[in-house]
Amino acid sequence: MAERAAATGALRALPAARIASFLADAAERWSDADFAPRVRATEAIAARLGYSAPVVEYALDRLFLGITRDALEAAIASELGTLGALDGVVERRGAPAAWARGVDRAVIVSSETTIGVALAPALFALCAKCDVVVKDRGDALVAAFFATLAEEHPAFGAAARARVWTGGDDPSEDALLAGAGTLVAFGRDETLRAIRARGGTDTRFVGFGRRASIGFLARDEAAALDDRLAERIARDALLYDGEGCLSLHALFVEAEAEGAALARAARTLAAACERVAVEFPGGERPAAVAAQTASYRNLAAFRAAGGRGAVLRAGDATLVVDPPSDEPPPFLPRVLPIVPVSGDDAIAAYCAAQRLPVQAIGVVWPSPRAVALAERIGAVRVAPFGELQAPPLAGHHGGAPRIADFVRWIDRDA
Amino acid sequence: MSVATPAELDRRILAAIAAYALDDAAFFALARDLFAFQIVHDAPYGAFARSRGFGPGRLPERIDEIPAVPAAAFKEARLATFPRERTTAWFETSGTTRGTGGRHEFETLTLYEAAVLASFDRMMLPDAARLRYLNLVPDPRENPHSSLGHMMATVARERGDGADGWYLHGDALDAGAFLRDVARANADGVAVCIATTAFALVAVLDALGERHAGAPLPAGSRIMETGGFKGRTRVVERARLYGETAERFAVPVEAIVAEYGMTELSSQYFDDPASRGRIEPRVKAPPPWLRPIVVDGEGRPLPPGVVGAIRHVDLANRGSVLAIETEDLGALVEAGPGGPAGLLLLGREHGAELRGCSLDAETLLARRG
Repeated sequence: MAERAAATGALRALPAARIASFLADAAERWSDADFAPRVRATEAIAARLGYSAPVVEYALDRLFLGITRDALEAAIASELGTLGALDGVVERRGAPAAWARGVDRAVIVSSETTIGVALAPALFALCAKCDVVVKDRGDALVAAFFATLAEEHPAFGAAARARVWTGGDDPSEDALLAGAGTLVAFGRDETLRAIRARGGTDTRFVGFGRRASIGFLARDEAAALDDRLAERIARDALLYDGEGCLSLHALFVEAEAEGAALARAARTLAAACERVAVEFPGGERPAAVAAQTASYRNLAAFRAAGGRGAVLRAGDATLVVDPPSDEPPPFLPRVLPIVPVSGDDAIAAYCAAQRLPVQAIGVVWPSPRAVALAERIGAVRVAPFGELQAPPLAGHHGGAPRIADFVRWIDRDA
Repeated sequence: MSVATPAELDRRILAAIAAYALDDAAFFALARDLFAFQIVHDAPYGAFARSRGFGPGRLPERIDEIPAVPAAAFKEARLATFPRERTTAWFETSGTTRGTGGRHEFETLTLYEAAVLASFDRMMLPDAARLRYLNLVPDPRENPHSSLGHMMATVARERGDGADGWYLHGDALDAGAFLRDVARANADGVAVCIATTAFALVAVLDALGERHAGAPLPAGSRIMETGGFKGRTRVVERARLYGETAERFAVPVEAIVAEYGMTELSSQYFDDPASRGRIEPRVKAPPPWLRPIVVDGEGRPLPPGVVGAIRHVDLANRGSVLAIETEDLGALVEAGPGGPAGLLLLGREHGAELRGCSLDAETLLARRG
């Protein structure tokens, strides 16, 4: 406890608004592609994930350009009422005055994520003035960003730490997880279960499991699909080789399976994928993944030869038109199934039949119809195509609050 | 182009099996004739071949040009060169994410059984021993559509001492009966061949471990292990599995032989005798009428030593499709003088590090139970 108090003492003395400013300033430095730590991190990330350099650069741009003081403050104010609630007791209309006091320690375990996913919760935990420990990836992106933060203000040097450790093997892990006030974890179901079980009795657990994202083109939108929109869809599908929970894993098109509209939309998308693949080349693929991809593609070609559906190659991407409706998306890099449907009911039925945990829906326009569909299928975000993989910092994270889980409220009754 | 008749093709394939020899030129000539036959008589394969640019007017020039159907295609269509009403037997493939299995149908099992016996004789019975077959694989009387069960039933019928036993009933393994029969074989002084999946072998070893016992086999006994741990949650490293097996059954490690086959094939690979002195790596040797090809993600053939997906060209698949593509990984091993290339089998990169937070097929399957 004394160690944690020492770690966060200096941070707790800072107003939350100043913390948000420091975070935004550090992010601004990281927005510069020539910033030396970013150059090093870019190489390390590319080496770890096998993504091409343009993909990593794009990801880092989107990540750090999105970390602004306005975005941080907007998210905090929307959840806590006011930024000042993090600094002490504030009056609240119709409710007891209260202080959103950050938990002593927030531990963030990000062992299976793509680029910088652990950073957002870490920033909000710091805004809450928590002692933050992040299980970093081998590329040490979080550690490098924390080093920049420490340059902005020494308080971060003690309060924000990122380490690499092997889950279950590190003797300090038990104490770290059990002592966490809030424990954030990313990973597969069994990983989350195991981590949750190691938290303390009072630890608040926030788990982000593996999820998928889909897209939907209504009939008139499919008919009007142009190159620009198609490129936005292609970017959502191709970026990060489909490995993010916000990657487009299946595109539902309101059209007849054998109709000309679907065929035309598929051709337009294939051409767009070819162009986008030039800007964002695919990464290296393990032999096993390459084999699975080839097998899926060739099976689709076998079906197409028999008169069912089509396969379109587009650069290093593959579009499979009209796959069997009782088959889940393949979850393979740069493979996009295009599924003809009669409408929203069919999408909902597909997601229910496949027990597909949908994170987000990409659409042309986030209409009330799209929100209604999200509500039906359990999705937590509706985004325009092209923005699917760039969730705003001021929005919720996977349907969860950004900062509320890092504080405990101290009410001062009248 | 004249197309060979089934009888003519069968005669040539059976001759190759009987001779246990087929050089590259003869293999390709037969493969090409078989391909020409299949694209005419197997409509789905013919359509697939045409989509790849091949047909009666354009035949493959090289073995790696022969269009290979993904193994899962057996779940999508009936791949057979004969009408449905002439099907006399079929073996069932496992289910998929869609929950559907497939069938490998046969008009006659003559080629299949000839291929099984010829390979088994070479690779498991070079001493022509008449063994007692103790089978920890599906009992064909209970599951007539298990290719593994049928294979061992054929071997036991033709090469056994008539006292074979079957101990896998559904998913239940009768380890007690198996161990009693091992004791009986010892009493009778009859060497045995245990045919087992890796998973069943682990279950037997567990049963022996609980009893702190061994089950020494009679001299000359051997073990054929197959199937790996596909679809099972518990995986035991091969080195540990073979080490413990050798110890509990008191057999030399080289008497434990892995077989690699698929329901979609009619032929099998076995550990090359020259590599059995070690547990890993062992080279899988095909019979002369079966050729492996290793390809990259675009289907281009890879040279020996480079890891890729494995394709099989199996001439004994006369009644279905001769070229099958798999997701199994491996690398070719340089052929010895006059022999076909062997195969280093690497499985499917079990435990490879995940790279993202996207859902994956494995997780989805687990959630769907």
